[in-house]
Amino acid sequence: MSRCMPSAPTSTGLVLFPAFDWCISPTHPEREERLLYTKDQLIEEGLEDVNNISFFNPEIAAHHDIDRVHLCVPSSRKLLTESHLISAGGAIRAARAVMEREVEKAFAVVRPPGHHAMQTVFGDRGFCIVNIEAIMVEYIRRHYGIRKIAIVDTDCHHGDGTQDIFYNDPDTLFISLHQDGRTLYPGSGFLHESGGPSAPGYTINLPLPPETSEEGFDMAMERAIMPILDAFEPELIINSAGQDNHYTDPITNMNFTAQGYARLNRRLNPDICVLEGGYSIEGALPYTNLGIILAMAGLDTSHVREPDYDPANFVQPPEMNSYIGELCDQAVALFAGREQLRREQAEQGVVTTDKRIYYDTTGFDVRESRSYHLCPHCPGFTEITAAGLDRQVHAFSIPFNACPRCHTRAKDRFQKSSGDGHSQVVLQDRIDDLYELK
Amino acid sequence: MALIIGIDVGGTHADGVLLDGDQVLTKNKVPVDQEKLSEAIITLLRSLLPEPPAKPGAIHLSTTLCTNAIVNDALDEVGMFIQAGPGMNPEFLNCGDHVCWLDGAIDHRGKVVKKPDQDLIDQAVARFGRERLESVGIVTKFSHRNNGHEELVHDQVKPHFAHSSMGHRISGLPNFPRRVYTTWLNAALKSRFSSFQEAMDQGLERLQLDCPCHILKADGGTIPFATAGHFPCESVHSGPSASVMGCLALTPSQEDAILLDIGGTTTDIGILAHGTPLLEPYGVTIKERPTLIRSLNTRSIGLGGDSAVALDVAGFTIGPHKLGPPMGFGGPVPTPTDAMIVLGAIEAGSRQQARAAMALLDPEQPAEEVAGQLLAAFAEQVREAVAEMIEELFDRPVYTVAALLERKKIHPREVIVVGGPAQAMAAPLGQVFQLPCTVPLHFEVANAIGSARTRATLQVSLYADTADGSLSIPETGCREKIRSYFDMEDAEKKVMEVITALAEERGIGTLPEIDFLERQEMNTVRGFRTSGKIISLKAQIRPGLEQL
Ligand SMILES: [Zn+2]
Ligand SMILES: [Zn+2]
Repeated sequence: MSRCMPSAPTSTGLVLFPAFDWCISPTHPEREERLLYTKDQLIEEGLEDVNNISFFNPEIAAHHDIDRVHLCVPSSRKLLTESHLISAGGAIRAARAVMEREVEKAFAVVRPPGHHAMQTVFGDRGFCIVNIEAIMVEYIRRHYGIRKIAIVDTDCHHGDGTQDIFYNDPDTLFISLHQDGRTLYPGSGFLHESGGPSAPGYTINLPLPPETSEEGFDMAMERAIMPILDAFEPELIINSAGQDNHYTDPITNMNFTAQGYARLNRRLNPDICVLEGGYSIEGALPYTNLGIILAMAGLDTSHVREPDYDPANFVQPPEMNSYIGELCDQAVALFAGREQLRREQAEQGVVTTDKRIYYDTTGFDVRESRSYHLCPHCPGFTEITAAGLDRQVHAFSIPFNACPRCHTRAKDRFQKSSGDGHSQVVLQDRIDDLYELK
Repeated sequence: MALIIGIDVGGTHADGVLLDGDQVLTKNKVPVDQEKLSEAIITLLRSLLPEPPAKPGAIHLSTTLCTNAIVNDALDEVGMFIQAGPGMNPEFLNCGDHVCWLDGAIDHRGKVVKKPDQDLIDQAVARFGRERLESVGIVTKFSHRNNGHEELVHDQVKPHFAHSSMGHRISGLPNFPRRVYTTWLNAALKSRFSSFQEAMDQGLERLQLDCPCHILKADGGTIPFATAGHFPCESVHSGPSASVMGCLALTPSQEDAILLDIGGTTTDIGILAHGTPLLEPYGVTIKERPTLIRSLNTRSIGLGGDSAVALDVAGFTIGPHKLGPPMGFGGPVPTPTDAMIVLGAIEAGSRQQARAAMALLDPEQPAEEVAGQLLAAFAEQVREAVAEMIEELFDRPVYTVAALLERKKIHPREVIVVGGPAQAMAAPLGQVFQLPCTVPLHFEVANAIGSARTRATLQVSLYADTADGSLSIPETGCREKIRSYFDMEDAEKKVMEVITALAEERGIGTLPEIDFLERQEMNTVRGFRTSGKIISLKAQIRPGLEQL
């Protein structure tokens, strides 16, 4: 404890792992250089010497930690490299630091990101293979018995992977605010995508118009996100802290700032942050990451400004404000009606949905069909068939909060199913923490 | 073989040796008045001189001058010019009442965002002048990437003040608060160090000594006395470094090993990896101020032969305070030294009083039993501190997949102990560590020997950005243009050139092996095209012994 260095009012852990020796491809946005300037800024600031800020190395996630969340085809061992296990392990380390009270809060500044990775994984989607937040969430549930978790995704892109994984889970509130899907990858994330039949209203999407600035984000926080979070009463808040809403980001069209990110974080007050996207590696990330860290730690953020920051550039037109205001009202109404919707839907027995998932990095499609086997007492279990790249998987996925009857029902179904030649049958049992294959 | 004199100044006395190679020809000890340091050193020197016509080839000195100035708050007031730029609120920086906060900034890549305002500089120069300040420090954020603003301010203020220090010259490492504190400290020590230097020069002249004189640094290396005048902060905290180098000189080891220097109230711990002492990632912390003063990775714990001891249900409490001498020497409370007297490991002192001390701790058991348990508890606390240090070393941040996968833990193979209670503690330490425990010959003058045998250290850091076409080596103030195809091989060549020149400047005869560290080469890509490369590379002469 040095009296000549600042003391963070909230003790904060940092897993800073820029993976300087890993890239998707040499000129890809997800390349070695991505966190170079961020690391330079954080180190030059002297954060390592600030009282109550601790640095942790990532651990290496086990394949078992991945299989608890994903259905990897052909397998997690075949799809993942050490870099992915380290990125997921970075998120796990951050969570462990908080859950074991080494620190009050933690931020995993790791790469590659994860929020476009869905439950079934056939390859790389939107720079992600595995969903590091989701892996962390299920790790926390498994090891620390936490039930109600809120994930707020502030990346500029819709967190379609995280949405997919927790779509039918009423114990996970997933809120994503992002640039409107009509104008940006992955093209989803509209208000009507609001949760599966057992969790209607537990997925909240706030598609913001391009050029949304500090004002718009402040409004979304105040009028929608905070009231919904307060009503949900989570035991833990996680922020998928993507930073590509920044006005200098090369692949998006928003107008957000380091000051804005710091303020958002202060208001949200998350227990754990996990870095997602953000590709303005020189002009934004060094400042946005620093702003977020200082805000988490409860330190002064007023000096964290981009070199060319001018508040006059961030005034929003009134039409934009009223559009966002309306969006907030609709989101709040949607969440308020969640329990009634759930009761209505639980009667349905089995609900089946189909979707096509596009893997942009190598360019192929996966067809997926999901049957939610509903139950009046729990979220039920999910049966998934997915096919792509000449491979097929047929899985029974039992959530951690399934009732004993649904648990048995799903296991029976798995026992009775048989794989045919090129389709593997999987039991993903989050209650007994098992992953079986046949 | 050249004769070398090594001197280690401690809190109450100074030790000295005259070495011929690794042979100790003479050793001596004199009391020290910290106010008249140079006198004591000259006296000691005189007693160590070889028979004429032989003359010492070099004098190596580990001095408490700066450490004491810091402890006693005898630092000069410094006028600081600080440019913090965007980032943390810099108001926490605590370096006196005379700070000029410059506007403008340099960014993380060394690009100038905005120059500092001229009026601010002029006003501060006038103000510091009125306040009769003699020493100024100049620091900007990211000056290790671009020293331009530090140099710019320096050029203007230099004529007005006797002493000036710039951040980038002291260290090429990142970490702005540390750079500020290091520069401040350096500036605050300059006048005191130069008076000391003058007194020493006169003394040496009286003794008709004209051999090179080197000052010991905290990093297990030396620096010429003359150069130390520019970087007096480097002489801080040299005691633990003398001790580590002394152990190394007395017990050469190629293994992972633990070095312990047990004193009256503290035990200093050092660690060797494959026989080389480990360095702190940034530098030593002084007066609660973290610095960039390169330093060996040592830790001092409040546990020594004279530490006050108490015993309750939870076990022994040893230290951190001393409440007078041991009871065996007429003191008021039991100490580990009393246990050593009881066990016959120390001849001096009253055995009866020492037994009484053990009885005070536990009247139910025989004194020998209590004494054994006390020393075992002492050793156990040392072991715990060592284990923690080894854990911390393992947990140092790494930033690449390869480095994370290759991390290795230190596995000590032996323990080397010096200091007053060394012999008495060897057995209990060997017991708890389950390792061979060595007390080297001449261990009582280990620090002076360490001081004598230590060679010079150097470090330079290169940062090249081919997209910008710029190269920076902060430690020498080098900033130059490079061609777009500058590569790692060129970087190595450049670094070798610079380190060779620097070594020559500092009178280092044969250049020892140079280590290249933290080699990093990264393509910069803009708009899906490679726009250049960022190359960074450090080179050092690692801490080691002068080859005989
Ligand atoms: Zn994104
Ligand atoms: Zn059920």
